[in-house]
Amino acid sequence: MKATPVRSMVRSPFVLAVGVVLTWFIAAFLVWPNANVLIETFFPDGRFSGRAAEKLLSSERAMKSLGNSFLLAAALSVTVNVVGIFIVLVTHYFRIRGARILFLGYATTFIYGGIVLAAGYKFIYGDKGIVTALLGNLFPGMDRNWFSGFLAVLVVMTFATTTNHMLFVANALKGVDHQTIEAAKNMGASTWTILRRIVLPMLKPTLFAVTILSFLTGLGALSAPQVLGGREFQTITPMILTFTNSPTSRDLAALLAVILGVATILMLAVMTRMERGGTYFSVSKVSSALEKQKITHPVGNAIVHVAAYLLFAIYTLPVALIVIYSFADSAAIQTGQISFDSLTLDNYVRVLTQPSGLRPFVISIVYSALAAVIAVGGLLFVARLLQKHRNWLTAVFEYLLHIPWILPSALLALGLIISYDHPNPLVGGAVLTGTTVILLVAFVTVKIPFTLRMLKASFASVNSSLEEAGAIMGARTLYIFRRILLPLVLPTAAAIAALNFNNLLDDYDTAIFLAHPLVQPLGLVIKANTDGAEGVEGVSNTFVYTVLLMVITGLTMYLVYGRTRKRDASPAQKDPAPEDLSSKNPAQKDPVLSEA
Amino acid sequence: MIRLENIEVTFGDFTAIPQLNLEVERGEFFTLLGPSGCGKTTALRTLAGFIDPAAGEVFVDGKAVTRLPSDKRQVGMVFQNYALFPSMTVWENIAFGLRVRKEKTAESDRMVREIAERVDLSASQLRKNVAELSGGQQQRVAVARALVLQPKILLLDEPLSNLDAKLRHQLRQQLKELQSEFGITTVYVTHDQDEALAMSDRIAVFNKGVVEQVGTPQSIYDASATEFVCTFIGDSSVLTSDFIAELNRHSGGILDPGANSYLRVEKASLTQPAGNSDAVPVQGVVVSRSYHGLHSRYTVRCHGSDVRLLVREDGGVHPEPGGAATVYVRPVHVLQYDPQTGEAVGNLALAASRP
Repeated sequence: MKATPVRSMVRSPFVLAVGVVLTWFIAAFLVWPNANVLIETFFPDGRFSGRAAEKLLSSERAMKSLGNSFLLAAALSVTVNVVGIFIVLVTHYFRIRGARILFLGYATTFIYGGIVLAAGYKFIYGDKGIVTALLGNLFPGMDRNWFSGFLAVLVVMTFATTTNHMLFVANALKGVDHQTIEAAKNMGASTWTILRRIVLPMLKPTLFAVTILSFLTGLGALSAPQVLGGREFQTITPMILTFTNSPTSRDLAALLAVILGVATILMLAVMTRMERGGTYFSVSKVSSALEKQKITHPVGNAIVHVAAYLLFAIYTLPVALIVIYSFADSAAIQTGQISFDSLTLDNYVRVLTQPSGLRPFVISIVYSALAAVIAVGGLLFVARLLQKHRNWLTAVFEYLLHIPWILPSALLALGLIISYDHPNPLVGGAVLTGTTVILLVAFVTVKIPFTLRMLKASFASVNSSLEEAGAIMGARTLYIFRRILLPLVLPTAAAIAALNFNNLLDDYDTAIFLAHPLVQPLGLVIKANTDGAEGVEGVSNTFVYTVLLMVITGLTMYLVYGRTRKRDASPAQKDPAPEDLSSKNPAQKDPVLSEA
Repeated sequence: MIRLENIEVTFGDFTAIPQLNLEVERGEFFTLLGPSGCGKTTALRTLAGFIDPAAGEVFVDGKAVTRLPSDKRQVGMVFQNYALFPSMTVWENIAFGLRVRKEKTAESDRMVREIAERVDLSASQLRKNVAELSGGQQQRVAVARALVLQPKILLLDEPLSNLDAKLRHQLRQQLKELQSEFGITTVYVTHDQDEALAMSDRIAVFNKGVVEQVGTPQSIYDASATEFVCTFIGDSSVLTSDFIAELNRHSGGILDPGANSYLRVEKASLTQPAGNSDAVPVQGVVVSRSYHGLHSRYTVRCHGSDVRLLVREDGGVHPEPGGAATVYVRPVHVLQYDPQTGEAVGNLALAASRP
């Protein structure tokens, strides 16, 4: 698409209107709050001050949390890769018995994560956890607090964040041309050599990106260290939260947030740089689909099978226990011992009928739905304009809209708090901090980059002749947008809204900073329950919430991805016999068919 | 050199190749030709060791290799898309097999450079990434990578199919030259008859997993053994029994009017061929003419047949559509097949016996 000059672009009143709203939004919620954090940190009274840095250096807790965060980030980059690559290989590359079941087990992280997952692990392995209670009966002398601290956080976060591998690495693996593997075999390479010299190098760019994402996840971790880190293992984000809550140490919080932000930006810059230089495009025009590789070494094969099923157990045990214990009575939850007649629907009835149980659920649903709809609805126009007009102005807008992507949510949240805790002309002189609006603003903000990218891609995929055909028949821009473009983009927009909704439903990291004290969304209530706020009832409520969240998330994922995933996955997921048929069928080799 | 004996290949309950027997001579350029899904690639992959046949044996140099893995069969393969490793340089691609064999680095380097020189790849190209090479250079890397391991047999799986027409013609030539230079026994798979005719010493025409005919390009073309081969290769007109009867009336009845009869387009003409007194004139009406510069394609309806033929555009005067024309046909050129079995009958046996 050719560039449109700025001058001709702003002549359209529609563009102008969208532009004004967009400029206000970006200025008020993306630029000013974050600039304000910087000002608060380094220019608290209008003059440069190093006081925050001095405070940081003299605070042992804060310095330790910095160290811990980087330690966690580095360790996580290694462990997530080890586990992630392994599960991708056993589900997509090697011929493993029951690969489909394994896939479902490993994919459980798609439907529960964040605070819900951390809470789940605590309720199962924590000091009052079900498994701990069971083990305590067997070994009365054991340390009930065995599952806490650095290792516990690392383990939980490792198994929680292999989702990126399942998405991106698995996808990159599908792009490996099977003929290169056959060529290597033909030249005598072993299974291991092929994996090491051909397949893994092909995945290198993706692995690199995923490693950086894992590093950033570790760096900005909030819920897992809070729930499982215990006293001795605290990281930056929980520290920011603590310091934010007392006005005297806000500058310290701001400085920590800035450090986190700078580290994030640096890592993302490296990633973008590497992405630009290092992607291996298959040199062939006709590549053949990957076939699963048999591990020929019998002992190696057995070891891989055992390890795969062991991981499967680790992934699925919490989910299975949560589902079972969501039906259990409080006695069963406390002792860990469960019998068939302690299973009832009481917990569900309580959560769904009592106002106190239902309230956080409804609050989360309302917040998420509103934010999802506002983000998608608002960005529909913006995405269209950015996709249609290419010039320096739209480029600037697009970069600014990506601010929430490059900054950690703790920094964004802190920025909103300190910018709007007093009347501010940017929002008509209102105070937002402490109101219900500020969390909605944050929810919308964090979803902007993803929504914008997806919507832009969706608009770009619309055949431009449709628009030209409309125009040649005399339709105006808005009419074309409404009658031609919108119906085509709407299914994607709905899918994006659904994914946003899912993602926000169990949000904790933003809400903990911004939520109204009386209007607490689900994530906060679950976190409070892990601290024992509501006793055993809180625990069983959390189990019920978790199950309901998994059902909602699973259902949305199925509606959005279900059909395409099925189509994608089938050649790789099928059991050996039909797979041979589909991929070795000579008809498939013929260019006419493969081109079609 | 290569012998496939009673090979049967099945995928689940689908039989791709029911029973295949083939023999390839040493140093030969042997082509497996057929339409999409005919089993030619399956046959090649069975030979390469990527497919285990349900029955039958594969022999290389008199030794059974049916149960040997691909890399123990001494076959090199050039894949449809070359299957070059995109994460490696040209040198690393060619040296891959040598390094797997744990050849010494110096020795590998010598061998890589030697083969690269023979396929016309420069030292600076060896340092490049494969994605930086043109299609033709990539092909030479693929060939070099296969040949550096000194295989007894080179297998080529439609290596030209994903290229544009012009490059395809050019590389076809290069590939053939490389093969004759190395003198290596080559099995080539293609669905492009033009390619097969131009490059091969011998061709096996495949249809539904069965070999319909094995022979030199000329015998395949001029004396197609079955109706499938006749219609798959070249361009021919269907002749009606009326038309055959007319030919018989003039020539003394050597053709079978009950058989399915075909005539290659270049074998009919609108003028009496010089020095061929046995050409039979058949009266007809020009139905259509399309101009192609070098020649025009005519369709002439005579005795119920739409006879298609080529007329050289040499500046002469040629009939226009609607006008009368005389088509000259030599009965010996008519290809005839049994309507039930599709096997060649009568006349063809005669044609096949010609030198």
